[in-house]
Amino acid sequence: MFEHEVNPENIKKAAFVVAIPSYNEADTIAFPVQQADKGIQSFFGNMRSVIINCDNNSNDGTKEIFLGIRTGTPKIYISTEPGIKGKGNNFRNLFKKVVDLDAKGVVVVDADLKSITPKWIKHLGEPLFQDFGFVAPLYVRHKYDGTITNSIAYPLIRSLYGRRVRQPIGGDFGFCGELAQTYLQSDTWSDAVANFGIDIWMTTLAMNENIPICQAFMGRPKIHRAKDPGSDLGPMFRQVVGTIFSMMTKFYPLWSKAKWSKPTAIFGFGLGETEMPPPVEVNEEVLSQKFHEGFNSYGHIWERVLQRETVNKLQEIREMDPEQFDFPTPLWLNVLVDFAVAYKDKLWRLDELLDSLIPLYLSKTLSYVKKTERMSIRESEEFIEEECTQFEASKGLLIRRWNKKTGA
Amino acid sequence: MAKILVVDDEEHIRLLYSEELTEAGYEVITATDGYRLIERIDKEKPDLVILDIKMVGYNGLDLLQEIRNKFYNLPVVLCTAYDAFKEDIKSIAADSYVIKSFDLTELKKKIAMALEASIPSS
Repeated sequence: MFEHEVNPENIKKAAFVVAIPSYNEADTIAFPVQQADKGIQSFFGNMRSVIINCDNNSNDGTKEIFLGIRTGTPKIYISTEPGIKGKGNNFRNLFKKVVDLDAKGVVVVDADLKSITPKWIKHLGEPLFQDFGFVAPLYVRHKYDGTITNSIAYPLIRSLYGRRVRQPIGGDFGFCGELAQTYLQSDTWSDAVANFGIDIWMTTLAMNENIPICQAFMGRPKIHRAKDPGSDLGPMFRQVVGTIFSMMTKFYPLWSKAKWSKPTAIFGFGLGETEMPPPVEVNEEVLSQKFHEGFNSYGHIWERVLQRETVNKLQEIREMDPEQFDFPTPLWLNVLVDFAVAYKDKLWRLDELLDSLIPLYLSKTLSYVKKTERMSIRESEEFIEEECTQFEASKGLLIRRWNKKTGA
Repeated sequence: MAKILVVDDEEHIRLLYSEELTEAGYEVITATDGYRLIERIDKEKPDLVILDIKMVGYNGLDLLQEIRNKFYNLPVVLCTAYDAFKEDIKSIAADSYVIKSFDLTELKKKIAMALEASIPSS
């Protein structure tokens, strides 16, 4: 039976909320709920707190499992209407509930987390009561994990808005109650945001609202349900990158004025020795193959949206010896700039336009894998930092292209 | 004229930075260590801090944390003789870093970038 809300203890007000978004997470949700409860009891015991499961009306018993877990903290279950899916839609429900509860701080953690500890709740939540309004996670990740973040989200968001947030789509974060109201009132909501675009949307809005942001060091890698490597990358890629591009249009007056970038405060030390992430395997052949197939599938789109020199350069690297393959950072920057402009000017059907970026993104990933093959995690981080500096230095180019008539 | 606070326990470094940065058009003030650094920043209101990482009795990365928590947007350039500090996650709260050298070209570049960095208000 569908229930929009189950609130067994009839909680009307709470200062602190830990929220766990879900869709069919019956087999995994118990662990993060238990860890969240321990975190609340240990570090926020003096506050009226609640754990909220914001769900997409799962049909695998997520609701029953969640409500059945014994916790010291009261729990509330809320759900989207039947048939309404999407992580972002869960968050929209959460924002409304946070406003109703008049909560001051909210921490969100994924329902399939296996590496969460009670201290994650502390580190993501405490800064919200110390002048910070948005807390992004800082995990130690394997150099090949999070490649959309490394190649697109982090360098673009950092160079656009001037704030360094290493994991802008980390999935686990904290935000203040006031920000929930801001999110509800924003006119930038879209279908992409209602799905996987939600994380980058929340981070970008927090930056543009000049909310004090910090990063919380989690001390452990994020380990969650293994994704099927054969699963379709398309929807997530489209939603995340599409959200970045559409926010660029909205926030042009701000990002066009931001120069270089500024760091953020770091929270969360004293976790003992940092745990190293598990290795991530990359199939270089598949990445190379997808790039080459892209010329047949999307070459006509690239011809339309990319500068002539960029297309020529892509042809050049197409001919490269696979062992020496290199996708230079300036070329990648040019590709992203042209795609962002094409998205703004609607030079092609937007879904297909974003799909056509995927083979290029995969080849950039291949290049990154080759370049960082012998690097430690720290060295690969420095490599990414260097790329970011190149992005920041090219801001003028982006602005010039953005303002140039494309003949859409 | 931008005001720069140099925090370093080595006198010759303080002197070198003072001379070169003054010549480059900055106003330079110095501190020999992290003692009452936050109060000093609060009082002197520098536009940028150059912070040594290894000082007798003080860890520059801990001082960086204190600075960042109290002065959210104050640019801090870390200065060190060893690059092993990058293993410490706290170092990313700095605007940038330089390896100590008698040639201050890199330091001046990083100072200029950090001072230019701006985030407009909505």
